[in-house]
Amino acid sequence: MNARKTWLAALATASVAAMALTGCAGGSKPADENSLEMWHNSTTGPGKAYWDEVAAAYEEETGVTVTMVSVQNEDMDGKLQTASNSGDMPDVFMSRGGGKLADFVDAGVVKDLTDLISDEAHTAFGDAAFAALQVEGKTYGMPVAVLPQGMFYSQDLFDEAGIAEEPATMDELNDAVSKLKDAGISPVALGAKAAWPAAHWYYGFALRACSEDTMQNISVTHDFSDPCWLEAGEELVSFAATEPFNEGFLTTDAQEGAGSSAGLLANHKAGMELMGGWNAGVIADLTPDGEPLADLGWFPLPAVDGGAGDPSAMMGGVDGYSCSADSSSACEDFLDFIAKAEWQEKYAEAYNAIPASKEAQAAVTDPLLQEMMAAYNEAGYMVQWLDTLLGQNVGNALNAAVVETLAGSGDAQSIVDAAEQAAARG
Amino acid sequence: MTETATLLAPAGAARRAPARGDWRKRGEIALLAGPAIVVFVVFVILPVVMAAFYGFFKWKGFGFPDDFIGLENYISIFKDPTFRSAVGHNFFIVIASLVLQGPLAILFALLMNQKMRGRSLIRVLIFVPYVISEVVVGTGWSLMLQDVGALNSFLGKIGLDALAQSWIADPKIAMGTLMFIISWKYIGFAVILMLAGLQSIPEELYEAASIDGASFWQTQWRITLPLLGPTIRIWAFLSIIGSLQLFDLVNIIWGQYVAATAGTSTMATYMYLNGHLAGNYGFGNAVAVVLFLISLVVALVYQRFALNRDTAGALTGDGGRKKR
Repeated sequence: MNARKTWLAALATASVAAMALTGCAGGSKPADENSLEMWHNSTTGPGKAYWDEVAAAYEEETGVTVTMVSVQNEDMDGKLQTASNSGDMPDVFMSRGGGKLADFVDAGVVKDLTDLISDEAHTAFGDAAFAALQVEGKTYGMPVAVLPQGMFYSQDLFDEAGIAEEPATMDELNDAVSKLKDAGISPVALGAKAAWPAAHWYYGFALRACSEDTMQNISVTHDFSDPCWLEAGEELVSFAATEPFNEGFLTTDAQEGAGSSAGLLANHKAGMELMGGWNAGVIADLTPDGEPLADLGWFPLPAVDGGAGDPSAMMGGVDGYSCSADSSSACEDFLDFIAKAEWQEKYAEAYNAIPASKEAQAAVTDPLLQEMMAAYNEAGYMVQWLDTLLGQNVGNALNAAVVETLAGSGDAQSIVDAAEQAAARG
Repeated sequence: MTETATLLAPAGAARRAPARGDWRKRGEIALLAGPAIVVFVVFVILPVVMAAFYGFFKWKGFGFPDDFIGLENYISIFKDPTFRSAVGHNFFIVIASLVLQGPLAILFALLMNQKMRGRSLIRVLIFVPYVISEVVVGTGWSLMLQDVGALNSFLGKIGLDALAQSWIADPKIAMGTLMFIISWKYIGFAVILMLAGLQSIPEELYEAASIDGASFWQTQWRITLPLLGPTIRIWAFLSIIGSLQLFDLVNIIWGQYVAATAGTSTMATYMYLNGHLAGNYGFGNAVAVVLFLISLVVALVYQRFALNRDTAGALTGDGGRKKR
């Protein structure tokens, strides 16, 4: 009797354990014409509400249900990777192009949308926005917003330091830096702890030093032999030598808390910051009252003398959405749906961002964004963030090398060397 | 096991009886140890084997690895000066933790073993940092130690501006800062272990010593320390393994990118940066294997030369039993 009980218990334990162990192993689900699952990165606020509204409207029009899943931005890549390995990819997912998208393409988990996206969307968006979501000439995503880089600054602090005009050249920027210093203000906020904000300065100098072809091809060639890469490093070193950055910038976060670089700007502790188009929103969250910074201004990265790059060229990112390889045709239909001017306008309002569709640009009312958008419209061309373009491996090594150099333990050559070494490893 | 079974069965009993007992015993062992063994194999042994396998591939983490490159990952790990310096930092932390925390913990434990007012309060205060999560500790210290953080402005307020430092970013100071935080964080654990060890020393020995006229320090040196030996050796073992695998505090306070520059990177932060963040999962797995092997060798050497007296019997089977 006793022994039997023991065995029964053992059996029960074993089966529970077996269930627990196999519970997570789901098979690949068949493509369903009437439902879509979508992963976006808005966990709260108007962004999340926007996607819920889109889902409701799309279901009303087509009868296809869209399940919206909010994924924390930082978790997105990891979760997508896990999902791709278990054959459980969402039908629609956020994509920012560059090397990460190329990895997904390599793995064969993203759908080629080149001939599937409607002509209307192509005309409304223009080639520039799509370029960011292309890999070897094929389109793998629908852009929704462009996020160009530029200098965010505090007008009050500029006035206090006696800077009358927005700096348009490197000399004027250096001049502004020394005026701010004389007024006892940290000139440039930099969150180098996360590395990429520091690397943005290097990318900026590279954008000015290197020709358009060199920049656009680097994602494929990974060839840093063009002297412009070294020049960009030298520009960075000489700019850093003027000590423009906030005290302790090496251990400053980029976006978390009042002590971060965005927080320094939000609390009038630093004059300016080089950052992507999302920064106005980040700064607004970090002001003492949580309201947008009233005196926040914006100007494009100043021109550098004698570079091969177009002085009006911009660097930036594109947020877009891709379809998984095994999604049904409802997926590309849904992407065409969100590309319509009506939904792009609502996107611009919800995210306070520059919509990818030129037809929806009228919906942008924020003066800061309008200024950014004007610069974007006039830009000769826009290049993806270099680390996105290069992919995690080289991009990461480049970012780390820039931080080393700013910390004083490297030079222009070591940035190029690090990128080349990583390229050889990946 | 058979030995035990034979002992249990009375001599001359029917053949069936021991066999039944034998099966029952096996069933019990399977029931009690089974789940643990399954979990251990699936979540510990299997990942180690998988990591060793992935380490031979150039692999981006998608699908099944198919780009076999032999030992290339391992070669580039050992060629990489940043990895070698990370290993150096790890071993520095191992030694410095032992040297700093050991004597301090014993002194604290001796102090708190005395009957005095507020003893339990002091115990709690020393132990509190240990129970606070690493993330909270890391975030807290990194905010206080910023160049424009609380510590420097406090020094400024009391007129000691000259002492203000770049506590985190300056490579000359950063390791010292890390050692201070580690000691502050983990000394509570060492003290609790030592206290438990002290309480197990029989009172009679101290009485005998005092009758023989031994001084306080003589008593500590001749009785307390030798009898505290097993506790100290176990603590040192835990400390060494913890130091070799240190990740969270460094990663939170310095970030993945600044750690190497500031001279506080460890093998684990190197693995996270060059494996996970760089998306080179094959390479990252190779680093994990190297980290595992280094820890294993250190652990085995320590077991062989320091712990063998304490663990005889528990780990070496018959060795212990024969002595009894």
